[in-house]
Order: sequence, then structure tokens, then C-alpha cells
Amino acid sequence: MASQAVVIEGLSKKFPAPGGLGEFAVIDALSLQIARGSFASIVGPSGCGKSTLLNIIAGIEPHDSGEVRIAAQDEANTQARIGYVFQSPRLLNWLTVEDNIKFALEAQNIRRADWDERVRKYLDMVGLAGQERNFPLKLSGGMQQRVAIARAFAIEPDILLMDEPFSHLDEITARKMRIDLMRILERARPTILFVTHSLREAVFLSEEVYMMSVKPARIFKHLRVEIPRPREPEDPRLFDLEKDLVKEFFAVLEQAYR
Amino acid sequence: MKIFRSEAFPGVLSAAGLLLLWKAASLFFLPTFLPAPLELAGQIISIFSSASAYLVIGKTLERVFAGLILSMLLGAALGLGMGLRRAVASFFDSWIMVLLTFPSISWAFLAVLWFGLSDAAPIFAVVLIVFPYVAMNVWEGTKALDKDLTDMATVFRAKRSQLLRKVFIPQLMPYIFSSLRISFALAWKIALVSEAFGADRGVGKELTYWFQGSRADMMLAWGASFMALMVLIDALVLRPWENRVFSWRQVAAT
Repeated sequence: MASQAVVIEGLSKKFPAPGGLGEFAVIDALSLQIARGSFASIVGPSGCGKSTLLNIIAGIEPHDSGEVRIAAQDEANTQARIGYVFQSPRLLNWLTVEDNIKFALEAQNIRRADWDERVRKYLDMVGLAGQERNFPLKLSGGMQQRVAIARAFAIEPDILLMDEPFSHLDEITARKMRIDLMRILERARPTILFVTHSLREAVFLSEEVYMMSVKPARIFKHLRVEIPRPREPEDPRLFDLEKDLVKEFFAVLEQAYR
Repeated sequence: MKIFRSEAFPGVLSAAGLLLLWKAASLFFLPTFLPAPLELAGQIISIFSSASAYLVIGKTLERVFAGLILSMLLGAALGLGMGLRRAVASFFDSWIMVLLTFPSISWAFLAVLWFGLSDAAPIFAVVLIVFPYVAMNVWEGTKALDKDLTDMATVFRAKRSQLLRKVFIPQLMPYIFSSLRISFALAWKIALVSEAFGADRGVGKELTYWFQGSRADMMLAWGASFMALMVLIDALVLRPWENRVFSWRQVAAT
């Protein structure tokens, strides 16, 4: 289907069991589809294999069976562009903010003539206009994460993976970043797969929410969040939705841990 | 008194004490055997007032830097290669161990036997002694490379040259600079020893010349002059260069 940005079919991944006896399945026969331009979240408890799933999609971790297909929008570029915002910024601290973004642009074979324009546009979008020549260590943790977000958006990816990108920030900064991300999405709409352990964060940001159970990771519920965007963090409809989902989560987790 | 509590006081006291002791000791000997501080200063001035001294020092510096640059390039490339490719590491591992444990002084002698009175002898000796050390240090540095950054670069599909120039080498710079400073100190000592065993010209050659004439004062004068020059190069070239390369480390004062 042309409208799907990412299709995952029957994906399985095993890790050696602790103690060296046999293997256990982290991810078992997982299937998932993300429509182009949508914002999908995967919510699950810590250690359920969410990050492993993102790393498999990103191609930095191998998987045992199943298939991951990412549709490339750009006809000339046969390989799909993957943007990744990690938990920590993972910037090259010896390069300026501008050069960190250009690092990704160069890696993606984006025309050199377009670099300055892209850097300007995406730094402006994350609210860091004027910081081009600064070094990352001169910026606060929140600002460094904004640079990482600009870097991932700047390559205009076919899929943007975000792995709990606000979990290392203090709650006030994280909250501001979530609202800002919502605003950014009014200007640029890449397909996003967002991983979090926070149901509140997931329902606030996403259009699609996938809920994941543990051992092995399996998606037990998929729902659409029909509340129009931009959303207010205090919207009572979001609270109600979160409350219902938390209940459902505990019911499933209790089974899993029994 | 305030002066006793100043921070420079112990340093000044120790220097003054040394000069005094030196002066006292020199009273018992001939000036050519153990010169007094002022006599030594006079000899240093006499060395630098002759034009040929600059040619001699220039020649030695040329050899020191040729050896140093070759050692750094060779050592850094090998260390990096060993860090990135296991096969390279297991191939060269034993070579480096042999070179590091072989007595340095033998290289200085062998270099003269093999290359005779040429520039090649001291350079060869410097490279063989210094480059394994650099390779070892840089190899050690590759073990501390941040895998998270490598993963980041891989996800964004960084090219091999980008990975090398912008991800790996900057992380190795602390190791490269610490190798450079220590290699520099090693290189000039080795170059002098090698020149002393056999060279047409050079500071090492001056030392043997004055040794044969039993002129301790001139040996001290040459040694002190060269030492001062090396300290100056370290302070005026290497340190500022290092500070500039690592300027990105200065964290914002918030």
C-alpha cells in the first residue's frame, strides 16, 4: 500500500537469556503499519523492547525473522531516510550546532547548496535561531535536545524515530518541549514513530497509540486519538482517555507478570 | 610578613636555594668542571653569539621534528587501524610489544651502524622508539570510542570519511595530544643521544665534542640552552595549539 510509510510484519527478536541458558523472545511476531504523515506512539513499560524495536527499524540492531519495510518518498533516493532522536542528544560536541546538522545533511547526500537554508529553517523551527555558531556544551540540556530534533527534521525523513526524547529532561522543560513539538508539527509533518512509557505523553502527542505488553513485546491494543490538534495539555478529554488506558494497561500487565 | 604567605614564595625560595647551593659547590672546583651560575650564563651567551650555533640547533630541531611528525602519523594511523579492525590489531600487536620492550639505546647505536653519519640515523632512532608508543596510546583511545555516537552516525548513514574525520578522530584527540607532548619530550632526547654516537653536526655532536675536551661547563651550557628551547616550544606552540583544539570543551558559565 502506497500510503503506508512503515510496514512491519511478523518481526521477532531473541536475546540470549541471562545466565547463558537458551534464549528468550524480546519481540515476538510483531506487526505494525504506520500511515504516511501520521504520528504514532508505542507505549509500554520500561524494558519491554521498545528501544530494541526502534533500533531494528533504524538498522543498527539485527532481527531474527520478519520484515521491516520503509517506503522512500524521494524517487531518486532508493534508501529510505531515517531520522532518529535518541534519549540523549548524541551531538558531536566538537562541531558547532550548524555543523552537527550539516553532518546529517552530508550523510544523506543532500545538495550542498541547500544546506544553509535547511539549517536556518529547522533551527528557527525549534527556536534556536542565532545559535548556529555555538558549541553544544554551551547550551542547556533542553537546547541540546532541540538541536538533535532539528538535525532529525532537517533531513526531511521518510520516518522519524523518537525514543523517549524528553525523558532525560526535567518535567518543566519536557512539558514545554512537548507543546513546542506540537507546534512544530503544524509546519512540518514527517511520519513519526514515538516511543514512550508515559501514556499521558502518548495521548497528548499522537494520532495513533499502540500499547505494548512485556515478555515478549506484543501489541495488545491500537487506538486512534480523535481529538483535533493542536491540543492543550490540560484538555479533560485527554485525561479521561489516559485514565481508561491506564486501567486497561494494568489488567494486561497483571496477566503478563503473573 | 605578607611576602612569606604569597603563593610564589616556596617556588622562589627553592630556586634561590638551588642557586646558592650550586654557587657554594662550584667554589671547590675548576670553572670548566663545575661552573658557577654566572659563569654558565656567560658560556650560554658565548654560544648564542656565534652564528654556527644556530645552524647546529637548527639541524637538530629539523631531525627532532622530522622524527616526531613521522612517528605521530605512523603511530596514529596504526593505532586507529588496530582499534577499528581486529585483524590489524592481532597482526601488529606483537610487533609493537617487541618494539616497546627493545632497549632504546640499541636503536640509537644500530641507527648509526646502518645509516652512518646522516640525517636518517637520528630520525630512524626517534621513529622506532616513539611511534610504537603513539600507536599504543591511540589504540587505547579507540577502546573508549562512544558507541552511541557511532550508532547515531550509522542511522544517519554517515560516510566512512565522515565517521573517521568527524566522529572518531575528534574523540581520539585527547590521546593524540597526550602522545604528542610526551613524544616530543622523548624525541629530542633520543635525537641528542643518536647524534652523540655519530653525526656530522648537531647538539648531540657538540656534547661529545666538549666531552672529549673534558669541558663540563660547555656541556652544561649546551644542555641548558637546548632544554630552554624545548620548554619554550612546549609552552608557546604545543600548549596553545591544544587549548585551541579543545576550545569546544568550555562549558557555559550559567
